[in-house]
Amino acid sequence: MRKYIALLAGVAILFTACNNNDEPGNIISDPGSLNLVFENTVDGTPLAMAPVTYTNSSNETYTINELKYIISNITLIKTDNTEYIYPVENSYFLINEDGSKTANLSDIPADTYKGIKFGFGVDPTKYPIESGTLNFIPLAEEAGMLWTWSAGYKFLKFEGDFTDATNPDDVTPFLYHVGSHGANLDNYKEVTLTLNEFQISGENTMSKTIQFDVAKIFDSVHTLSLEEKNEIMVDPENAPKIAENTSTAFSIIE
Amino acid sequence: MKIAYYFILILFCWSCSSDASDGDATTPTDDDAMTVTNPLLDFTVPSNFPDATYSIAQNPPTEKGFELGKKLFYDGQLASDGVVSCGFCHIQSFSFTHHTHITSHGVDGQIGTRNAQPLHNLAFMNEFTWDGAATFLDTQPIIPITAEVEMNETVSNVLSKLSADDDYPTLFAEAFGSEGVSADRMFKALSQFMVMMVSANSKYDKWERGEAVTFTDQEHAGRAVFNTKCASCHAGTLQTDQSYRNNGLPIDPVYNDIGRERVTGLSTDNRKFKVPSLRNIEITFPYMHDGRLGTLEDVLDFYTDGMVDSPTLDDQFRRPDGTFGLDISPEEKVQLIAFLKTLTDNDFIEDRRFAEF
Repeated sequence: MRKYIALLAGVAILFTACNNNDEPGNIISDPGSLNLVFENTVDGTPLAMAPVTYTNSSNETYTINELKYIISNITLIKTDNTEYIYPVENSYFLINEDGSKTANLSDIPADTYKGIKFGFGVDPTKYPIESGTLNFIPLAEEAGMLWTWSAGYKFLKFEGDFTDATNPDDVTPFLYHVGSHGANLDNYKEVTLTLNEFQISGENTMSKTIQFDVAKIFDSVHTLSLEEKNEIMVDPENAPKIAENTSTAFSIIE
Repeated sequence: MKIAYYFILILFCWSCSSDASDGDATTPTDDDAMTVTNPLLDFTVPSNFPDATYSIAQNPPTEKGFELGKKLFYDGQLASDGVVSCGFCHIQSFSFTHHTHITSHGVDGQIGTRNAQPLHNLAFMNEFTWDGAATFLDTQPIIPITAEVEMNETVSNVLSKLSADDDYPTLFAEAFGSEGVSADRMFKALSQFMVMMVSANSKYDKWERGEAVTFTDQEHAGRAVFNTKCASCHAGTLQTDQSYRNNGLPIDPVYNDIGRERVTGLSTDNRKFKVPSLRNIEITFPYMHDGRLGTLEDVLDFYTDGMVDSPTLDDQFRRPDGTFGLDISPEEKVQLIAFLKTLTDNDFIEDRRFAEF
């Protein structure tokens, strides 16, 4: 008889141990989905590719031919400040102005959430040690988001043409490719956004829009002038500035 | 009572494990009861070696994983022409480098700009390639697979070929316990093969471990010269401090190779290359990142008389009188070479586990 009691107790533990929604009073619901829609903008207006022109604070007029960036390591913050870490191997997303701009997350524990954390780029401490993270390589490769001489990701690929105010007829290409530089320089950035409280449950799919303001790539913590430097790739001085600026470009639209 | 407790514990562990096959010696290969025995391989750090840098616990080599990695290593399907496998440039009898060309050949007879490095003791290295462009062994193969002058292929295309292959889907399932050909599994299998390539049975190793070998007077003298004049960079039992240095090689205008600067973008890294391990150095000619020196005598002559100055030249090579190089007498050179030959590990280059055929 004692064996049965022990067994029953054990089974009870078993059922609760794997459940994240076992706080008293919580209605246990099926996991739900969350779609993060990235909306690329320039100074608050939806981005348009070339030939539409924009002007940065260095008074340089530019057009955009390509804009891609990598989002990773998504964590949702609950109202009690505990965190739900989305499975790392499924949390790498390529946001492409000319392609997919949505990160579809599924199987999220039903709960009330108030914030989101994610990485800009790929965290070198997680890559490729955690299982599955190498599976992002084919997609990144097809999108041209791998360095060609180095085994690493480009976190941002931003290309276009520009003219400066003094030479309006002199059209010059620009190119910003930012990633980590081997083990020498880590340009991965973590972004935390606060949202109005929202429910995740199995009943409906939640959608949240994250604005990415391209103007901030040039002008935020640092001001970058295309006239000063129009090709930034493996650049230990300027790449960290772009990474820092880019990490400030994300905001929530509610 | 105890039995019930254990039973519950088993249930508990089983129910929370996302992938019950991880680390198991026996991995189910399908939904049915068919199982394939896949024992863990014994990865042992030689007693005279430092700790492994590769995370064996994250990707423990198994018999099936190793076999899959080996098949991939020798498979030309990883290249665009179906011919140039990893093993094309990394030949076991030369400790996994090659001899016939100064720099390495790729698909369509293309010629690279650097000399293929030997492959041994990779589980103990911090970074990979001559300039440290790969910070993990698992990602290193991306470079040769995708380089136009090497295998000129895409990872996606390799995966398509492997998925369509008659054998690979089964081999992947046997190695990893479930169906699926993926990039993660391909790179991990290659790593499982490569981390097992431990070369630690040279005369030098046996001497270091106090096993029954005797150094000749020449070898002893060479070791003393080595310790005074080489070991500040070629440090420790692997003969490398794993740093990047400019050793004063004149720039070859054909390649104009900027070395580690390509990875870091730092002008202070201009013309710096990885200090190579000297294990199996006797059989891994030609020498230097571009294979410009054919013999060990050439290498030592270069170190005494061939260096040129540049802003990043390693300070250790600057003589008080303003010239550059090491001071090694002709007699010491002979002694050094005798010592360097004690680093040859014939057991490793003849080890059937790594053999292509």
